Formats: sequence, C-alpha cells, structure tokens
Amino acid sequence: MTALLETRGVWQRFGGLVANSDVSISVGRGEIVGLIGPNGAGKSTLFNLIAGVLPPTQGSILFDGEDVTHMPAAARCQRGIGRTFQVVKSFETMTVIDNVIVGALVRNTVMREARRKAHEVLEFTGLAARADVLASDLVPAEKRRLEVARALATEPKLLLLDEVLTGLTPTEAQTGVALVRKVRDAGITVLMVEHVMEIVMPLVDRAIVLDLGKVLVEGKPSDVVRDPKVIKAYLGDRHAVGA
Amino acid sequence: MDKDFAARRRRDLIIAAALAAIAALTPLFVKDVVVQNILILTLMYAGLSQSWNILSGYCGQISLGHALYFGLGAYTTELLFTKFGVLPWFGMLAGGVVSALIAMGLGYPFFRLRGHYFVIATIVIAEIGLLLFHNWEWAGAAMGITIPIRGDSWLKFQFLRTKLPYFYFALALCCLAWFVTWWLENSKWGFWWRAVKDNPDAAESLGVDVFNSKMGAAAVSAFLVAVGGSFYAQFVSYIDPESVMGFQFSLLMALPAVLGGIGTLWGPVLGAAILIPLTELTRFKFGGSGRGVDLIVYGTLIVLISLALPRGLLSLFSRPKKTGATR
Repeated sequence: MTALLETRGVWQRFGGLVANSDVSISVGRGEIVGLIGPNGAGKSTLFNLIAGVLPPTQGSILFDGEDVTHMPAAARCQRGIGRTFQVVKSFETMTVIDNVIVGALVRNTVMREARRKAHEVLEFTGLAARADVLASDLVPAEKRRLEVARALATEPKLLLLDEVLTGLTPTEAQTGVALVRKVRDAGITVLMVEHVMEIVMPLVDRAIVLDLGKVLVEGKPSDVVRDPKVIKAYLGDRHAVGA
Repeated sequence: MDKDFAARRRRDLIIAAALAAIAALTPLFVKDVVVQNILILTLMYAGLSQSWNILSGYCGQISLGHALYFGLGAYTTELLFTKFGVLPWFGMLAGGVVSALIAMGLGYPFFRLRGHYFVIATIVIAEIGLLLFHNWEWAGAAMGITIPIRGDSWLKFQFLRTKLPYFYFALALCCLAWFVTWWLENSKWGFWWRAVKDNPDAAESLGVDVFNSKMGAAAVSAFLVAVGGSFYAQFVSYIDPESVMGFQFSLLMALPAVLGGIGTLWGPVLGAAILIPLTELTRFKFGGSGRGVDLIVYGTLIVLISLALPRGLLSLFSRPKKTGATR
C-alpha cells in the first residue's frame, strides 16, 4: 500500500539559506501526522512545498501516486490537498457561508449543491450559527475554525493544518483537538504543523521532528518526546544530559 | 437560511424590474429635452459604472483606464460605419469583442501586478491609447469622426428629432449590466472574484484559478463598457479622442460605484443617480466653461463620502450584523 503523500529528497534553498535539506517523509492514508520542531526548523517551508506555494529547489513530491512537484496550488487542491494558513486568511468582506462556498465550488459546479455542501461543513465544524456573519466579525478562534471549514469544503484527501491550535485558550484548543479527530474519523488524512507539544502529542499517530531543515527523528509521539536528540534540539545540550 | 438567501435574490430582481418599469414611463411625463438628456446620461453612466464594478468592485482589480474600452467601442463602431458601411449594431458587437480581447491581452502582463501598481498601469495604458488615436490619421486623428446623418432610423441607430430611442437604449444597457451582475453574483465566477479580491493566496489554495478569474472579469467588464461607448458615439454623433477616451470617462465610471458602494449590486446605480444629475446640473448652471466646477463638486462629495462612509452610501442601508454573540 503506497503512502498518500511522499516527499523524496526535497531541498529548498533561499539564496544561501538552506531551509529544507534532503527531506524524505511519507504520510499514510488515515494517519494524523505531526510535523514539529523548534523555530526555524523548516516546518513552514516544507508545508508550503507540499501545498504548492512554491516548487522545491530539488527533489520530488508525490501525492496519491502522482508526481505533483511542479503543480500549482490550485491544481493540488483539485487533486485533494486542502490547507489552512498559519496567519488566517479569511475572505473578510464575505460572510462565513460565502467563504466556505468558495471551497465547496471545487467539487460542486451547481451553486445550490455548493451551498448545501457549505452548510454541511459549517454544521460539522460547529460554525453553523455564524453562517451569515461577516468573516471580519469572527473572533480569532472562530477564524481558525473557518480556515478548517473552508479547506474541508474542498473535500480533501489530505488536510494540511498550519498551527491551527497555536495561540488558543486551553478550552478552545481542546475543541480544536476534537475537531481534528472528527476530521480523521471522516476518513481524511491529516498532516499538522504544531508548536504546542503537550496538545499535539496525544493527538497524532506519528510525529516527524525537523531541525535545521533536516528530519531529526520520526516515530511514535511517546518515543519522540523522550529522544535525547529532540530534547537537545528544543532545549539545548544541558537538558539533554539531564534527560 | 437558504430560503432567506433565495428570497433576497428574488427581491432584488423584483425591485430592479419595478425601477426599470418606472424609468421606462418617465418620458411620458418628462418632455424637457435638457432633462431627458440628463436622464440618458445618468442611465448610461449607471450601466458603465455597473460594468466597471465587475472588474474593479467584485474582482478588486481597480481600473482607472476604462476610458480605453469606452473609446474603443466608439471608434470601432464609427470606423466600421464610416469606412465600410457596417451598421452600428454590428459595430457595437464588434467593439465589444475588440475591447474584451484587448482587455485580456493587457491583462496577461498586468494581472501579475498587485494593488497600486495595477492602477497605475491602467492609467498609463489608457493614456497611450488616447495618444495613439490622436495621431492615427486613418481614424481621423485629433479631428475625430463626424457620423454622417442618414435620417432617423433604428437600423442605423440615429435619431435627430427625438431622444427617446437613445433613452430606451441607455435604459436597456443599464438593465443589462445590472442583470449580468445580478446573475454572476451568485455563480462560481462571482464567488471566485470576491475571493480573489479579498485574498488571492487563500483563493488559490481553495482551487480558484486566480489569473483566469481576473481575465474573465476584465473581458465581461470591457465588453459592456465598449457597448456603452458605441452607444455614446451614436448619441453625440461626433467623436474625437478626447471626447470618448479622455481620462474623465475613467473617473465617471469609477466614481458612481465608489459613491454608492463598490463591489455591491446596487452601488453603481445609486451612485450614478446622485452623481450624474449633479454633474450635469452644475455644468449646465455654470455654463460650458464650468467644467472645473462640476469636478470640484463631486471631488468634495467623494472626500466627504470617504470620510463618513468609506463603504459607500449603501452601507447606510445594510442591516448591522450581530457580532461576537457566540463562540
């Protein structure tokens, strides 16, 4: 059984800076995979390469058995890659339902069906009560939720979540975790970049730790957090010895 | 919720039909030629502004160069008529197609520009068009083209004794532009345009073809504006570069929409209904050389509107949305 997503020897250089070097990861169908690492580890770059914001300098990206390395973002969305943005990018002058309809139009050409799909997704993500409110009037936690709703409306096979749980209150984060689980139970594979270890670790099936642009460790969350290399990357040498 | 939405759409359509019917009856009561003239121009600018609004309001690509398409519509029609004897109705269609093609040709490089850079490009391109027509001997250069009078006829779309046919055509154009907007508003294109305006990156990630959305909006917008230009040429029966491609037309297409509410269905009509009579009356009052005065009047108006109601007059009527109620 092939993986849903695979990167093979991916490099990304920005001038002299190497943001990703020889990154090969794979995400299996139905998994929740966490992509973690300290600041500047290259998580966001890798994330953008997978979403199709820019092509990698070197290497290839396979999605669902197809080489998508040079495919633009919109085409990847049609193939089944949905994403959210770390800094939320709602369509501010549009209502919540209209925001979601834009996503739903990828697979529904008839407006009435797109609208129905959008309502369904709002129900699923718990935003139904806010359907007719302008996106600019949502509170931050709701905006995050809208990001997820919009991406879900495109009916993705793989959902890329970029720090959707960061910066939320503990209660909000817990609701977010529940939503991610629900998404996976609906048969959607999830790859999430996340900062907050204690929230993400119980949630993911597998964690991939990036450091200085390379894959440092990957494995079960419980193993990863105990790995001396990971502790060193996050906290420095001193703590690694103590662990 | 869906019912609300469908009801709102139907209500818009009914209001538009009612307004069109009332407008269609006004010539029965308004016999004054000066007033009729103002009504014709108001309807024409409402239609033009509505068309401008498709590219600049809905899709967010602010153009201050739409005079180019207006002029192209006028010139295509009159060149075809005077040089080849092609009826203005076909010329109108040809002008629309030419403008739409040129809009897409220009969009190809310029839609890569964002924000102010795009606006500047549109101004420059329209000025270049103006200069080209100023120097193009075959098209009459600075002398322009006088449309030969062949007597009142619908076939040649010219009327000396009455303004009514022009009135009804302007009304039809306004209705057409409104209806196209209404129809596109609830289509894939309408949603794509608004998404592109608000956030092109997010739109792209949701499968929106950003570039082609802009191209589509530009083509529809330019086509309708060119039809307006073609109409105007027949209406005034004399054209020269300044009188159909001057910068003031770009402004007069943008301002009603901005005044009424940019990117809204009713904004352009409302804005034109206020702005154009005001412009024409000040011009009429202050004589032929009063051009500066009318500019001052609506310059002031725009400043006041942008200070008090940056989203246009229509924002006065929109119900305040409940905010922050649930989390």
